[in-house]
Amino acid sequence: MAVSTLDAFQVIADPSRRQMMQLLSKKSMTINALTENFEMSRPAVSKHVKIMCRAGFISITDIGRERYCTLKQDGFNELQDFIDYFDNFWAGKLKKLESILNHKAKSK
Amino acid sequence: MQREIKNEWIYQQSPKEVWDYLTQPELLALWLMPNNFMPIAGHEFQFQTKPIPSLDLDGIFHCRLLEIVPFQKLTYSWKGGSGNGVFTLDTVVAWTLEKHGKGTKLILKHSGFKEANLSIFMGMTDGWQSNIQKMISHLNATRDGSINA
Repeated sequence: MAVSTLDAFQVIADPSRRQMMQLLSKKSMTINALTENFEMSRPAVSKHVKIMCRAGFISITDIGRERYCTLKQDGFNELQDFIDYFDNFWAGKLKKLESILNHKAKSK
Repeated sequence: MQREIKNEWIYQQSPKEVWDYLTQPELLALWLMPNNFMPIAGHEFQFQTKPIPSLDLDGIFHCRLLEIVPFQKLTYSWKGGSGNGVFTLDTVVAWTLEKHGKGTKLILKHSGFKEANLSIFMGMTDGWQSNIQKMISHLNATRDGSINA
């Protein structure tokens, strides 16, 4: 079965794939476990998995005879990571400015 | 769903004194980072620090002075990335100084944090329709904005 390469919009446009990603957002699952949640064949689920993998939404790891699908969390957490980092960063810098200004005042 | 950071700090020193520490490169370096800042609107400059691998940032912040009102306001762009020319962080830092008794209230607003890529939308497990609607209106707003600009 040919697997086409779809862009991100096309990938999330499909309700079954969105549902698969929702399931995977909770834990990694095998293709068999995913299939149990859908009224479609394993090859059909496998095809969706390949499409999502190709578009970078999930990764596939072979463990023994099973293929485990994992949602790639990197992109999801990026925004919050930036905000958390710079929130702390600025708070630390503003405090440092205060101690420098006060130190300067004392040494006058 | 843009998010921003807002931080306020009260200093005992006058706005003039605090301003110097925001606009003189060698004073700025004492508390923030080494830089080649110049208080000229449109000037492009960089802050340099150690790489931040957890955020995939190479430690160089690329800035452009957008607005300068002496002793009152200073705004610059604040961009960063892994060093491959793509800015995954594309934000704006705005400083406002207000008199506060004999001292200064310094307000920092770091804004413009937004979805770096579409995959962030996938992090939301509910409300697909509304998320996609938001994305569409965001895209429309961006388009309208560029037409107006």
